[in-house]
Amino acid sequence: MNRFKKYFALTRAGIIECVNYRMALVVMVFGNLLYLTLIYFVWKAIFASSGSDVVNGMTFESTMIYLVLATALFNFMEMYIVWEMGRDIQSGKIALNLLKPMKYKDYLFWSVSGSFVVNFVFTFIPTFLIVMLVTKGTIAIGINLIYFVIAVVLAVVINYEIDFIIGTVCLYTESIWGINVMKQAVVTLLSGATIPLAFFPEKLRTVIEYLPFRAIYDTPLTILLSRNPDAGMVAEKLLVSLAWAVVMSLISHLFWRISIRQVTVNGG
Amino acid sequence: MNTKKRGLSFYIKIYFKIIAQDIKSRMSYRADFIISTLGMIATNIVGFVAFWLMFSKFPSINGWGYYEMLFLYGFSLVAITPTQCLLDNNWNLRRYVYDGDFVKYCFRPINLFFYYESEVFDVKGFGQLFFGLGTICYAWYHLALPVNFVMILKLIVFLLSASLFMMAMQTAAAATCFWIENSFYILDLSLKLKDYAKYPITIYNPLFKFIFTFLLPVAFIAYYPSLVILRPDEVPLLSWLSPVIGGLFFYLSYKMWMRGASRYDGSGS
Amino acid sequence: MENMIELKDITKEFKVLNRREGLKGSFQDLFSRDYKIVRAVDHISLSVKPGEIVGFLGPNGAGKSTTIKMMTGVLEPTNGELLVNGRIPYKNRTQNSQEIGVVFGQRSQLWWALPLIESFKLLKDIYQIPQDEYDGMMELYAKLVNFDEILHKPVRQMSLGQRTLSDILAAFLHNPKVVFLDEPTIGLDVAMKSKIRELILELNKQKHTTVILTTHDMGDVDALCERIVIIDKGKMLYDNDIEHLRKFFGAYRTLKIRPREKMDVMVEDLTKELEMMDVRISHDDEWVFLLVNEEKTSVLKVLGLIQEKHKIKDMQLEEISTEDVIKKIYKEGI
Repeated sequence: MNRFKKYFALTRAGIIECVNYRMALVVMVFGNLLYLTLIYFVWKAIFASSGSDVVNGMTFESTMIYLVLATALFNFMEMYIVWEMGRDIQSGKIALNLLKPMKYKDYLFWSVSGSFVVNFVFTFIPTFLIVMLVTKGTIAIGINLIYFVIAVVLAVVINYEIDFIIGTVCLYTESIWGINVMKQAVVTLLSGATIPLAFFPEKLRTVIEYLPFRAIYDTPLTILLSRNPDAGMVAEKLLVSLAWAVVMSLISHLFWRISIRQVTVNGG
Repeated sequence: MNTKKRGLSFYIKIYFKIIAQDIKSRMSYRADFIISTLGMIATNIVGFVAFWLMFSKFPSINGWGYYEMLFLYGFSLVAITPTQCLLDNNWNLRRYVYDGDFVKYCFRPINLFFYYESEVFDVKGFGQLFFGLGTICYAWYHLALPVNFVMILKLIVFLLSASLFMMAMQTAAAATCFWIENSFYILDLSLKLKDYAKYPITIYNPLFKFIFTFLLPVAFIAYYPSLVILRPDEVPLLSWLSPVIGGLFFYLSYKMWMRGASRYDGSGS
Repeated sequence: MENMIELKDITKEFKVLNRREGLKGSFQDLFSRDYKIVRAVDHISLSVKPGEIVGFLGPNGAGKSTTIKMMTGVLEPTNGELLVNGRIPYKNRTQNSQEIGVVFGQRSQLWWALPLIESFKLLKDIYQIPQDEYDGMMELYAKLVNFDEILHKPVRQMSLGQRTLSDILAAFLHNPKVVFLDEPTIGLDVAMKSKIRELILELNKQKHTTVILTTHDMGDVDALCERIVIIDKGKMLYDNDIEHLRKFFGAYRTLKIRPREKMDVMVEDLTKELEMMDVRISHDDEWVFLLVNEEKTSVLKVLGLIQEKHKIKDMQLEEISTEDVIKKIYKEGI
């Protein structure tokens, strides 16, 4: 219990810090709406010019719901961990953080968890409610919501572990920017954050099947949006996500341990 | 008391001296340079793939052919290059102001905005420039546009005026940190909006057409200036005026930045 | 022009957000905010003659830095008149910068990645320093400091001391009329501190530069300032020469000793033994503090007396601290 107390203390501090920036919150909410409007018009134009209601097996409505929710998920999952780690490492603050009475990986996660909560409340929930209201029942309310929440939790873990692995690379190079944009480019495309995976050509999709990225956006949203979720399909998807979460956290743990030892031996 | 004159030639001379030093010192971090370049290439490739996934299947979007769309895309990439190269230090502004370090820029007898931005010259921006120019040429070829002096001149002039709009948007977004404690979201938003500059403004409804023309001039980063080259028969007045409007927007954003800097209180918040 | 710097009734106020406490409080702040006005500088008047070195003393948050920021033109006073070198600094920030030099503690103004010499060359262009003046300055610097050590080193690779030294050299490079130094010796070791003090003193002497510095360190004051200004809570408490101040407070020194015996026994003994000597005794777990007024008793005499009867593990002698001086001024007045 005590263990969790100290973690939640970090979450609480994070929430307070976020809420202190009032204007930033306003901008976040309105910026999000503006951005969604842009997406809406672009895809409307795409569907209008296709001449049919269904493109790549998706209707305009389901594409929009998918993209809107993907953006909302992105808003609260993108915590700029790689930047954070890079800055900690370059400024030498990492040494102080290593002395904290918890693992750096945990410390960092719980430090940003406050922003998770704030962004979830201020962008994801309103977006979700609006989508529910506007589409009137396209999203089924039922057991799929629970599956969705589980999938999102796993997605948060996988996303964080990927970020942490990439952030660890910053121990070896000063090029935080380069590392970060590369990661961002690859992850946003291959996870289905900006374009539904249904739009990808067959071969590319097969490759993506074997990569962890799809578990971040594609899996939770596919589960949420399926009308009559087949238990077998959902279980399979969740198990794959779980497996990736375990694998990624093992890799990130080992990579960090090896790297930090090397750095401390070499005197960084 | 001696008053020393500092004209345009003074600033140009100083700028080249400073960036020459900056580039020299940066070349000593070769790994950083290579990784940044790779990052730049990866971002651009992913950008192209996304573009291709979305548009290659359809002959036209809203009356815009695939190669015309591609032209707009390339145009927007080139237009944001000057911002990336010259004004990259705007990304650090928020942190300097927050930590109170901004004060160190305030004691030089030269223009503050100039001095601040001159500190960083981002060589990576050239990567974007090459991608953008390549795309423009490729689209140009497929669209069978004429290649002559007037066309090239038009391209250069309107690329430059388009870049003024991007510089203005980013400068204004960065300057908000003098008033707002955490302005990261604003800069981030301006970056996201930039990604939507490559679409023809005709896809939006009248309200957003107005917003993206007069309030957040995203449509000027590619759409309006490109019309001069792509659709010479239907160029609206706004396109021809874009060099002037661009200058105006940039001037206003510069004034805003300087205004913000003058109310900076020198303490960390 | 009589005075280099002229402050008349200067006041500076800031609007500060009154934040509520806790998670609930920060959500309340989201919807209703409560600002208060804080007066950082409160009716300060002051004039400084060309060539003077003036030390600003005061605890953290006393208003020293705010005053300096007003004099350099970064901040505009809320009220009052302010002239530096005959100009209103915040109105002519660019022109004013040509005539002043500024060093802000640990915030280096030099180009981080460049070797010092390249920074100097850039400054030469920015300030449009004529070649002969620049050469003269470099010659002078070469005499005053160990130039080879730092000249070709990038600032980012320098030690804090070297960086401060470089920043001070850069601040004097364009031969300004006034140089402002905000805590120039903070965080430096003793050797570096004295090196930097010598440099400042020498440059002041050779170039007749007016120097305004803020500090916590009485050592800086002793070495550099003929005149000191004490500020606390935005108000000026004292403005006079250092001799005057020392007459009142400088005579006090604190003798710290670490006894071999048990603390309470030691303190009890000492209280008896030093009864006649006008020494104030206090202690913590390790140290006994003896506040000695040297006008009445010498520290050596006290120490001698103690060593006759007790064994001492360690001892230290401390000047009265700025904080103590200010406390005493508060309690007893000038």
